[in-house]
Amino acid sequence: MSNDSSPQKQFVITILSRDRVGIIADVSDAISTLEGDIADLRESVLRGYLTMIFLVTFPASQTADTIRQSLQAINTRRVDKPPLEVIVRPADDSTPAGQSSIPPDAYVLTATGSDKIGFVASVSGFCARHDINILDLSTAVSDGDYTMILLVDLSERGDVADIRRRLQDFGQETGLRIVLQHYDIFKATNEVSLL
Amino acid sequence: MSKKLSGTFSERPYQTTNTAPEMSENITMIQSEQILNTVAMIQRENLDVRAVTMGISLLDCRGATIVETCDNIRAKIGRCAANLVSTCDAVGEQYAVPVVNKRIAVTPISEVGAGYTSSELVQIAQALDAATAEVGCDLIGGFSANVESGVSRADQALIEALPDALVSTQRVCASINAASTRYGLNMNAVARLGQTVKDLAENSADQSGFAAAKFVVFANQPTDVPFMAGASHGANQPEVVINIGVSGPGVVARALERHLEQSSGKSLGLHDLADVIKRAAYRVTCCGELIGRQVAETLGVPFGIVDLSLAPTPNVGDSIGEILKILGVDAIGAPGSTAIVAMLNDAVKKGGAFASQNVGGLSGAFIPVCEDRELALAAEAGSLTIEKLEAMTSVCSVGLDMIAIPGSVDAETLAALIADELAIGMINHKTTAVRVIPVPGKEAGDMVTFGGLFGASVIMPVRNIGQSTRFVRFGGKIPAPIHSLRN
Repeated sequence: MSNDSSPQKQFVITILSRDRVGIIADVSDAISTLEGDIADLRESVLRGYLTMIFLVTFPASQTADTIRQSLQAINTRRVDKPPLEVIVRPADDSTPAGQSSIPPDAYVLTATGSDKIGFVASVSGFCARHDINILDLSTAVSDGDYTMILLVDLSERGDVADIRRRLQDFGQETGLRIVLQHYDIFKATNEVSLL
Repeated sequence: MSKKLSGTFSERPYQTTNTAPEMSENITMIQSEQILNTVAMIQRENLDVRAVTMGISLLDCRGATIVETCDNIRAKIGRCAANLVSTCDAVGEQYAVPVVNKRIAVTPISEVGAGYTSSELVQIAQALDAATAEVGCDLIGGFSANVESGVSRADQALIEALPDALVSTQRVCASINAASTRYGLNMNAVARLGQTVKDLAENSADQSGFAAAKFVVFANQPTDVPFMAGASHGANQPEVVINIGVSGPGVVARALERHLEQSSGKSLGLHDLADVIKRAAYRVTCCGELIGRQVAETLGVPFGIVDLSLAPTPNVGDSIGEILKILGVDAIGAPGSTAIVAMLNDAVKKGGAFASQNVGGLSGAFIPVCEDRELALAAEAGSLTIEKLEAMTSVCSVGLDMIAIPGSVDAETLAALIADELAIGMINHKTTAVRVIPVPGKEAGDMVTFGGLFGASVIMPVRNIGQSTRFVRFGGKIPAPIHSLRN
């Protein structure tokens, strides 16, 4: 994005706050004041709480502390608003760009059951034990049931049939209804995309 | 499964590369609601791929003797379809969408077996049956002939072989095309086929006449149908091809119910409901297309067509009749039923046509009485009659299908019933067909059960039995219709 050849450093910034109008404007304004160039960002709002993660390139003169102070200064300017919590870390230089695409062996795993403590831990624990990388995760409540929706990458796992068998056993042990389907079926039924 | 058949089939005229969009999107998942809708469609609304049918040309199977021909047929089917079932199961598992039936369609046997006697053609039927069992498929279609414009000696032998061929085999299905818009309606053939239907039923009396359920008479029979009993692999088709039939009455019914529930209070027009059907059909067809293409690609065989027919099953919640009730008739067969089927059929085509690269086969809503629980109940209650079914077939696929009638109905009345249905297809430039089962020893009001997907039904009354004999005995041909002055 920036063609400036002066030495630069990349930082990862996360913000957590009660959602309100103007958070992104405040944060991006503070970043640009420090001559930061936003390389990538994601924002998500869950029941009134907002979280953002930024990857930003700053001039080498900036440090994690100076960036954090500038962002926290937003709170002193907006005393009447819910405060922002800020974390700033230098980014690992080896972070490859363009790694955020869905791999060909992406599957969607849905696990449905009654809401209870440890639900997410048990499903994600299963994934961890079986080398299944979770790319994205969300939950939904419908008809009194709690459903976890996981986008998982099975490319490290050659044998999908084996995973399916283990999932079946896991579902029986835990009383969860588990379905594993290739991501393409969701694209096919929900998207009209350009070829 | 990974063993490709490529190289065997050099002709791949319509084969395109997998057209799934490039995987370049960000990891921003499709919304959870959409994910859950798709999961529900498959898990709770009976979405499946009803049939994956491999079409195989048998034109190169002719040997010096009938034994050699039968051996060649078995070997070729074994070679081409060896991995069909395992591939369908694996692909179905990948998407958690079951492929219910894996089937085979072959070149019409009247062409492959021209010159053989009818008893030799029965041997071919038995070879087809054995080959189908060997590759683990449940049915094979193509014991067929086209007599729309006349009956050749080969066709004659095939028609004579039909009762023995279908009674002595389990998996073989037969079809005869006896009429078309271009060539007219061959009444000589139809008169003969009325007797054939009767013979089929009587020779399988111990199975309630089930052999007749494996035989269908067509007008305008397509050459790429994946559904039984009408599947065959026409001479215009590639060497080997994969055609598929989707399902989904349950998906359409639930989509309509949901929409009506969510819109309570608002006034909905039928055009709104047609749109719901269209969207549901689009989603159903997308699933079928994805799975069919993947099966074809894995097998190294060209992908032919998706047949957009909504095919019901006897399962609760998987019924065309149920959709009619949701759309506003309290009794199936009541006035309005034909208009509803017309709208349903058209909306399914509109949604499906956009979802698929190649649509073909029969493509319409099926109304097979035995195979659709709600239709069977309506027949039992007396609200649905054969006459109303006939009217409905003039606006939908595919004809008088899986209707159990009294075993005492005479051959001429059967022939006349067939002639009426074929005339609808001939005049309206559409496919129609007749698959009725005159159940031996049963009369109107009795019950019959065929089991599995073939279902169960009351024996429906046929009115005016014996009153069409003079018409049928004229024989000859009803000339092809005029192609202008259309009204």
